[in-house]
Amino acid sequence: MNIKILDSWLREYLKTSATPKKIAEKLSLRSVSIERIENYKDDFVYDIEITTNRSDLMSVIGIAREAATVLQQAGIDATFAKPELQLPIIHPKKNPELTLKFDEKLINRICAVVIEIKIGESPDYVKDRLEASGIRSLNNVIDITNYVMRETGHPTHVFDYDRLVNHTLLIRESKKGEMITTLDGKTYTLSGGDIVADNGKDEIIDLISIMGTANSIVTKDTRRILFFIDNVEPVHIRKTSMEHGIRTEAAILNEKGINPETATDALTRGIELFQTLANGEIVSEIFDFYPNTPQETIITLSEQKINSLVGIAIPLEKSIAILSSLGFTVDRQGEMLIVTVPARKSGNDMLIPEDLIEEIARVYGYDNIPDTLPATQIPTYFHLEKNEFYWEDRVKDALKYWGFTEVYTYPMVSEVMFEGPLEEAVTIQNPLSDDMVFMRRTVVPSLLRVAKDNQEHEAIKIFELANSYETNGKELPKQNLKLAGLVKKQNASFLEVKGIIEQLLADVEIKNVIFKQLTDRYGATILISSPFAREGQDESKKTYELGTIEIFDNTIITFELNFGRILKHATLKKIYTPVSKYPPVVEDLAIIAPAEVQTGELMEEIKKQNTLICEVSLLDKYQETRTFHIVYQSYDKNLSDKEVGEIREKILETLKKKYNARLK
Amino acid sequence: MEEKLLSIKNNAISLILETKSVKELEEIKIQFLGRNGEITKLLKELPKISKEERPKIGSIANGLKNIIEEAISTRETTLKKTKVITSRSFDVTEPGIRPALGHLHPVTQAIREITSIFTQIGFTRVRYPEIEWDWYAFTALNFPQNHPARDDWETFFIKQQPDEKKGTVLLTPHTSSGQIREMEKGELPIKMLNIAKTYRRQSDVSHTPMFHQFEGLVVGENIAISDLKGTLNYFVKSYFGENRISRIRPYHFQFTEPSFEIDISCGVCLGKGCRLCKEGWLELGGAGMVHPNVLKACHIDPEKYTGFAFGWGVERVLMMKDGIKIDDLRILYSNDLDFLKQF
Repeated sequence: MNIKILDSWLREYLKTSATPKKIAEKLSLRSVSIERIENYKDDFVYDIEITTNRSDLMSVIGIAREAATVLQQAGIDATFAKPELQLPIIHPKKNPELTLKFDEKLINRICAVVIEIKIGESPDYVKDRLEASGIRSLNNVIDITNYVMRETGHPTHVFDYDRLVNHTLLIRESKKGEMITTLDGKTYTLSGGDIVADNGKDEIIDLISIMGTANSIVTKDTRRILFFIDNVEPVHIRKTSMEHGIRTEAAILNEKGINPETATDALTRGIELFQTLANGEIVSEIFDFYPNTPQETIITLSEQKINSLVGIAIPLEKSIAILSSLGFTVDRQGEMLIVTVPARKSGNDMLIPEDLIEEIARVYGYDNIPDTLPATQIPTYFHLEKNEFYWEDRVKDALKYWGFTEVYTYPMVSEVMFEGPLEEAVTIQNPLSDDMVFMRRTVVPSLLRVAKDNQEHEAIKIFELANSYETNGKELPKQNLKLAGLVKKQNASFLEVKGIIEQLLADVEIKNVIFKQLTDRYGATILISSPFAREGQDESKKTYELGTIEIFDNTIITFELNFGRILKHATLKKIYTPVSKYPPVVEDLAIIAPAEVQTGELMEEIKKQNTLICEVSLLDKYQETRTFHIVYQSYDKNLSDKEVGEIREKILETLKKKYNARLK
Repeated sequence: MEEKLLSIKNNAISLILETKSVKELEEIKIQFLGRNGEITKLLKELPKISKEERPKIGSIANGLKNIIEEAISTRETTLKKTKVITSRSFDVTEPGIRPALGHLHPVTQAIREITSIFTQIGFTRVRYPEIEWDWYAFTALNFPQNHPARDDWETFFIKQQPDEKKGTVLLTPHTSSGQIREMEKGELPIKMLNIAKTYRRQSDVSHTPMFHQFEGLVVGENIAISDLKGTLNYFVKSYFGENRISRIRPYHFQFTEPSFEIDISCGVCLGKGCRLCKEGWLELGGAGMVHPNVLKACHIDPEKYTGFAFGWGVERVLMMKDGIKIDDLRILYSNDLDFLKQF
């Protein structure tokens, strides 16, 4: 969350000779980040980012205290001019009627007072300070509430006292379906569980701690106001504010939780300003209901702990000075510090020694801590072959050098793009849009989408390595890496895609890959046969499914492989086989075989005929003739024509018997 | 005599190498090996030499003859080949025949670079689930039950019955869930680098619902803020260049204490302050010392061990690199091939 503060306003509480640039530099490094300094008339505006745990710094006074501390520690003169205001003592002649009722679970503290005022314009300095803060000036009364909020950090509100029917405020949770109209004229239907004020007649007259409603706010005719400081339970505020998108500054502050002790500051400062800027006259006693008071905390801290966590020795006196300056009470006992976190600082993330070490170290200056590298030993051994990222890189590189471009698509897909039974889909409960409801079970549909989005490209080769997701009963959904690819071109060739997969697998030493025709679609299943497969074993145990190639149409062919399975079988092991000293005999056999006989089968059959056949490949295919290139080689001797001739005869005989095939 | 032979040899070889045509070479051949050539002349003088020296000189002279003949023949081959190449016409300005070349996604390239930098200083890359239990994403990381990150409008939740112990199922909003996975293995010390897809329920110029983070975690004895500073600075100088500097500022995260935000000097104005940066600085990401509650949740004794962690956006560091000029994060996931082919 960011706030903007005018330099002159800050200097009301910060006395220093430091320039705005210097203040910004020191605050950024040691406290809150000053994101920008901008010129505003003849003044400067600080744009400050405050972390959510330090809502106490969303104020001029909070920043002034921080600035004084960090400037002092940096050796620059600076003091914090703490506001010293007292609550006026009031003896109203006739106490105006006011009934306040609330649930203590919802309320930490409520302060309220009735003031007679005169509506008018704010003086220029108030207008400037507010406008520089990004708050529009409206009239003196509304401006005071905003001014007090920015200065003290506690949001405040004013009702038109005379518009409060019954003069009753009943603070409760809303019921589902109740309607409100906020001060900006927008109407909302509440979903229940919002903190609202009721006038006792079931009419909502305020959306507490978020925004006023049209029926109770101050108008130009207002004569008496109820100055109202409400400190309530923050989770409720977050829910209401987010649900309806009402992100007022009050809501943003209140949902973080504001220390209720600051309500006193807001009350006294508010009264003072109503008196000086709006002819304010207090006409009621000051109500202060405070059911939930914060407690002080005590934290013990050792010098050794400070130094070992920071990595440098910080003198204990320095730590004490820093903590004291930030408003902690410190009691030194030897090398131990007993630190009291006052009630006024509670709720700002001060619970354990590390919280205090952060305060010490940041004010000491992170820039004063040296850079070191951890002296930790390297915890694990490195095995290249077992490193999944190594294989990932290797496969991606191969595809890249074969012309594929890598894409990253969203894993959340629409119903149309989801493949598989919808009731088993991993489904997002709160999707951002209808396009992103299901966690995909296959990656290919996303690639088809990319191809469609890039229609103007006639030829496309893309791939993605990404998870697929499947429900897994009561366990976490299964998340498995898939390698998917898409080739698009005129007359896309199945064999080209098959070849890519064959080479990809060959490169990672996966052999025994089998391609089987798909029966329900055009394409092939890719299987790896198990090295432990035995004859007669169940087919499903002899092979592992690796994925599929699918022919989508004349121009598009896709593939999707189980990457986990590739990882399991990929290896860096190489086994050297000595190169034969004897030259190979090479011949091409032109075979005429019936069209239905598959080439793979013929090649396998040829290979099986003799161990001297070391290579069989398809050289050419023309009409009914398939020409095979055969390499014969022995490790022991030169092969004679006779020996080769005998093997050839055996090949031809078998092919004839089995497939009715013959030599051309 | 011997010296004379040697000088003839050197002279012959250098002349042979200088020839520009077969014709020239032919002349050299005649000059040395011809009927009236220098070698022949020398051999004719052989009888004038003393009997003792004659065989030695004779063999040197014959060897010399062979060397020159070989040099001539080698040169001849070279000259003829050159002639063939020059006679075939070719145009060096015509486009070459290129092998196929695709492109890796810029995010992959960034992940590789980040991984290389951290493995250089002893980090090990790991991978953990993207769909996680609440326990790993929030509870064990010290997020209170009502923390806004658990809101429906910040984190994506999966329709699944929550587990009694581990809570709801969600898409990891940060790689920090990997810290818990790593620590619960119970092996110390830890030097982990977790890079993964992460998800948040937002989409605008600087946010996509899916993005990537890289998370570092170091846990061991005496790990201090100075170690965190040194590690982060090592990364900044390595990734962005040695002319960039980093600084750490106080910040707040649930799972670290103290917490920091890291800025680097703006690459455009080099720290002077410009339109693109905040007073000369760009926010890089968060880091901090592992919160004692987080160590406890993973059964690590916070009195004995300390650690630091950081988790930054891959896309963010990529976009902050000098000169890349990507101004809308969403283009990274548009999968426009004309965009991707630039990487």
